[in-house]
Amino acid sequence: MIQMFHVYKAYPGDPPVLSDINLHVEKGEFVFLTGPSGAGKTTLLKLLFCGEKATKGQILVGGRNIARIRESAVPYLRRNIGVVFQDFKLLPQRTVEDNVAFTLDVLGVPRAEARDKVHRMLKLVGLEHKASSYPLRLSGGEQQRVVIARALVNDPTILLADEPTGNLDPALTVEIMDLLNQVNIRGTTVMVATHDSSLLARYQKRTVRLERGFIVSDEDGVKAARRMMAV
Amino acid sequence: MSALAKVSYFWRSAAGGLRHAPFVHFIAITTIAIALFAAGLARTAGRALDGLLASLGGEVEVTVYLAPELAPEQVDGLRTKLEVASGGQAVLVKPDEALKRLARELGDLGDALAQLPENPLPPSLELSVAPERRTPELLEVLAQQIRVLPGVTGVDYGREAVERLTAIARALRFGGLVAFAVVLFATIIIVSATLQLAIYSRREEIEIQKLVGATERFVKAPFLIEGLLQGLLGAAVALMGLWAFGRVVGPTLTSLFSFLLGPTTSEPLVRPALELVVAGGLLGLVGSFIAVGRFSRV
Repeated sequence: MIQMFHVYKAYPGDPPVLSDINLHVEKGEFVFLTGPSGAGKTTLLKLLFCGEKATKGQILVGGRNIARIRESAVPYLRRNIGVVFQDFKLLPQRTVEDNVAFTLDVLGVPRAEARDKVHRMLKLVGLEHKASSYPLRLSGGEQQRVVIARALVNDPTILLADEPTGNLDPALTVEIMDLLNQVNIRGTTVMVATHDSSLLARYQKRTVRLERGFIVSDEDGVKAARRMMAV
Repeated sequence: MSALAKVSYFWRSAAGGLRHAPFVHFIAITTIAIALFAAGLARTAGRALDGLLASLGGEVEVTVYLAPELAPEQVDGLRTKLEVASGGQAVLVKPDEALKRLARELGDLGDALAQLPENPLPPSLELSVAPERRTPELLEVLAQQIRVLPGVTGVDYGREAVERLTAIARALRFGGLVAFAVVLFATIIIVSATLQLAIYSRREEIEIQKLVGATERFVKAPFLIEGLLQGLLGAAVALMGLWAFGRVVGPTLTSLFSFLLGPTTSEPLVRPALELVVAGGLLGLVGSFIAVGRFSRV
C-alpha cells in the first residue's frame, strides 16, 4: 500500500530532515511511527499526503509514484487518504455534522446521501448525539473523534494520524487509540506518529523508530513492546 | 458525485462568506456602488453633451452667396449641385427676404435699412449639412468645392465655432474616459483587496478543504461567486442611488440647463440599467479573479 525507496527530505541550508528512508507498509497494516521530537515523523507523514515533496527518492502510494505527481493530481490522491492532526483542525463556526460533511461537500456528494453517511460515521465514533453541537463545546477526545469521523467519512484506504492523542489525557488517549484500532480492523491501513511509548506497549503493533531523520529500527509489535517494557 | 451538489455548495459557501465578513464585503459593495453611480452620472452627462452638440450642430449651415445676375434656372442648377455635395437641403433666400431678416435681427436699428437707395444683399442658398459631414475638415472641403462653382461669390459656415465645439467635445470625452479608467482600476484594486481579506479570514477552512482533496478550482469557485454577488449588489445600490438622484436633483438640473439642451427626451431605462448590472458583475468578478489568483499554497 505504501512503499518508500531511498527517500530524502531536506530544506535549503539545513541538514536533511529525512535520510535514506526505506519503508513498506502492507494493505490493512497498523504501523506506529515513533521517535523523539524532531526525528522526522511529521515530515514523513506529510510526504505521504503530498503536504511536502521529497527531495530525493521514490514514494508509491497505492501503486502510484507520488514523488513525481502533478500538482493538479494531488487532490485526487488526498481523497484516498484520511489525515488526523494533534491540533484537530476543526471549523469552530460549523456544527459537528457540518465538519464531518465537509469532506463530502468537496466530493460533491448530494446532501441527503451525505447526511446518511455522516450519521453512520458519527455513530461509529460514538458522537451521534452531538451532531448539532459546535466543536468548542466538546471535550478534546470528542473533538478528535470528530476529526477521525471527518477523515473516514469518504472511506479512504489509508489513515494517517500525527500525534492524535498528544493533547489528550490518558483515558481519552485510550478511547481514541481503540477507535483507530477498530478502524484498522475494518480494513483501513493506519499509520500513527507518536512519541508516547505507553501506547506502543499497550497496542503491540509494528513500530518504526526514527532518529535524526533515519529509520533506526522496524520491529513487529511484540518485539517493540518488549523493548519498551525493558526501557 | 453530483455537479448540482457542488454548485449548490458554491452558492451556500459564497452566501456564508458574505455573512462571515459583512464589514469587508460592505466596503467592496460600497466601492462598486460609488464607481457605478459615478459612471451612471457620467453616462447621463455624456448623453446631455451629445444632445447639446447635436442641437448646436443642427444649426451649422453653409451660406452660399450668389451673383445677383443669375437666372432662376441657374440658381436651381446650383441648388441641386449643392444638395448632392452636402447630402442636405438647400433653401434659396432672395435679397428682399434677406433684408427683412436683417432688419428683424437689428431691431430698432433695422429702420435705418429703409433709407438705403438699393438692397445691397445678394441672393443666397442656405445649406444644411448632413450630420455625418459636420466635422471641421469635411466642412472646409465642402466650402472649397462650392467656392469654385460658377455663380458663387462667397461661402460662410462659421468655421471657428465648429472647430471650437468639436475640440471641447473631444477634450471632454477623453477626460471622461481617463477618469473612468482610473475609477475602474481603483475599484478593481479595492474589491480585490477586500476579497483577499475575506480569503485570509477563511484560510483554515481552505487548508482543510485542500487536505480532504479539494481542487484549486473547487476552493476558488465560492470566492468568484462572492465577487459576482458583491458586484451585483453594488450595481443594485448604484441603480437605487441614480434613481433617487434623478427624482430629487434631475428636475432642477433639467430646468437649469434647458436653454442649452432644448427639449429633453426621456430614453428607456431598461438598457442602461442592464448595462450597469453587467458592469457591476464584471467588476466583482475581475476583482475576485485577481484576489483568488494570489492564493498561497496550503
